[in-house]
Amino acid sequence: MSPQETGTGQHVLTAPLETGAITKVRRLADNQPVTTAEKFKDYIRYTRGRGALEIGAILAVVIIGFVIASIASPAFPFLSANNLSGVISQSIPVLAILAIGVGILMIAGEFDLSLGASIGFSSITFIHVSNSFGWGWGVLAAIAAATGIALINGLIVVITGIPSFIATLGMAFFWTGASIFINGTAPALLRKGKDEALVTLFAGDFGFFRSQLVWMIVVGVVAWFFLHRHKLGNHIFAVGGNASAARAISINPFKVKLLSYALFGAMVGLASILISVRTSSMQPGSTEDYTLMAIAAAVVGGTSLLGGRGTIIGMIVGAALIRIIENGLILGKAPGFYIQLFVGLIIVVAAIFNKLMEGKAS
Amino acid sequence: MTINEDYLLRIEGITKKYGVNTVLDDVSFDIGKGEVVGLLGDNGAGKSTLVKIMSGVVAATAGDFSWDGTKHPHVNRALTESLGIETIFQDSALVPQMSISRNIFMGREITNRLGLMKIKEMDAITSEILDSVVTIEGIKSSKQLVSSLSGGQAQAVAIARAVHFKRSLLILDEPTSALAVRATEALLDYLRALKADGISSVLVTHNLHHAFEVCDRHIVMNHGRKILDVRREDTSVEELTAAVVEGELGIRRYRENATAA
Repeated sequence: MSPQETGTGQHVLTAPLETGAITKVRRLADNQPVTTAEKFKDYIRYTRGRGALEIGAILAVVIIGFVIASIASPAFPFLSANNLSGVISQSIPVLAILAIGVGILMIAGEFDLSLGASIGFSSITFIHVSNSFGWGWGVLAAIAAATGIALINGLIVVITGIPSFIATLGMAFFWTGASIFINGTAPALLRKGKDEALVTLFAGDFGFFRSQLVWMIVVGVVAWFFLHRHKLGNHIFAVGGNASAARAISINPFKVKLLSYALFGAMVGLASILISVRTSSMQPGSTEDYTLMAIAAAVVGGTSLLGGRGTIIGMIVGAALIRIIENGLILGKAPGFYIQLFVGLIIVVAAIFNKLMEGKAS
Repeated sequence: MTINEDYLLRIEGITKKYGVNTVLDDVSFDIGKGEVVGLLGDNGAGKSTLVKIMSGVVAATAGDFSWDGTKHPHVNRALTESLGIETIFQDSALVPQMSISRNIFMGREITNRLGLMKIKEMDAITSEILDSVVTIEGIKSSKQLVSSLSGGQAQAVAIARAVHFKRSLLILDEPTSALAVRATEALLDYLRALKADGISSVLVTHNLHHAFEVCDRHIVMNHGRKILDVRREDTSVEELTAAVVEGELGIRRYRENATAA
């Protein structure tokens, strides 16, 4: 019954086996996958129930269905260049970038319902600063405005301990009001600040895809490395999953939450620029829909509403799924309210699905 | 009180108040180098708060914290971590949605210069710790989520983490509450082995027999105050039981009975 000495002189905590017991101790090291098939099985096992896998399969089914419909019937032009470039590669990236911002914040255990209002404010900032000083300054100003708004929200939530739901709901009204205060109710128009380089960079048309898609891929890759491979990303999961455990291991939850708010703000700033350059205008109060759409995309992609769980790939797939089905409804000439019916339904279904899958994760 | 000039950790006059509630009242003691100290007491005696203060997770309202002869006015987790103190918390302080490996290295990730984690290395070390340090059945992979583990398995992960990072003092807050008998025996043996390496430990437990078996010294808390601080050879399980259950009155009655006999 005494601790065994190993070669390194390190004491080892091992319970003695009963004498005579025919027990083969199976070590963790023996369980490591060796062949490619085993590694694949291992990968599937630990990807199950974490969001992206299930929803990715649903997206694949929807896309295959739409492609077949498109080939079979000219009345459903899903695969036309006009649809792929003009609709899909413009609408998915903006929502995906917003979903990544919201998703990271949700993993940290917080929300920001002022997202739509913040898009309005930073778009107006972008348009006015671009018109007066050139679009380079406009880009900086838009990102700074959105990040600043998010950090103010973050500080309110972290310092006062008010649930972020309520705090940011209030701030949503404030920033919509602030947009009207600096701009008036008429749309702000991007005229003097607009040139060819700006359009190519943020809304360039390359046949079957647009610049926005490149931005989504770049943001997605950087965000993936940050969230899933960087230690700060690990801290975000830790704080959202169990803040008191994180604190006990000397991670500061306040700093991590503020960092998440700042990243969220930067994503909102980038999305604002993409929206403003595409439409060349922005009317205060017209962007509120983005708030719930972005949260819906994150939830559909497997991000937990309670924090601590979510993947970048899931957020992108969630945004793609919502936008592609929306596109299919429009191409199929469904009435406009179908889209609202669908988005409302998918949020609830995805949340229920997430809850069921959470128990399946191993 | 034991005077030990060769102490590792000394706390003096530790008081903790939550509003009008005094949870700890003027608690002082030393922990010697290589000493195994049992911290005993009934529910609400203040043991867990004391553990959190010694771990640097909660700040005391008043009192001094000295380490190896140096007084530290500001005690936080960063300081205690640099001193080599590791704690196994009663609630195990794990994140259920994260894998075993990420829980073990939470906040202390092995990274390259850019801060990107070396996942393979962390997984390999995790398998090694779980294989060699705590023997627990049924854990399949270091990638498994903690939410999919049983209570005992999760506790084993918490123990493995503390054991892996400890360098000078290991604090165990009710570590055996979810462990099977065999794993408990192994843990108690491990504390004896640590002592041989000069590593101190503080064992908080309800189980007086466990404590008596392994600890060199026993500190009994009652309603936030220290009521007994006694070496193993000067006490008995009966006296400790009386102290835990009945407080100072129990100690007095036990000693009167002992003298009468």
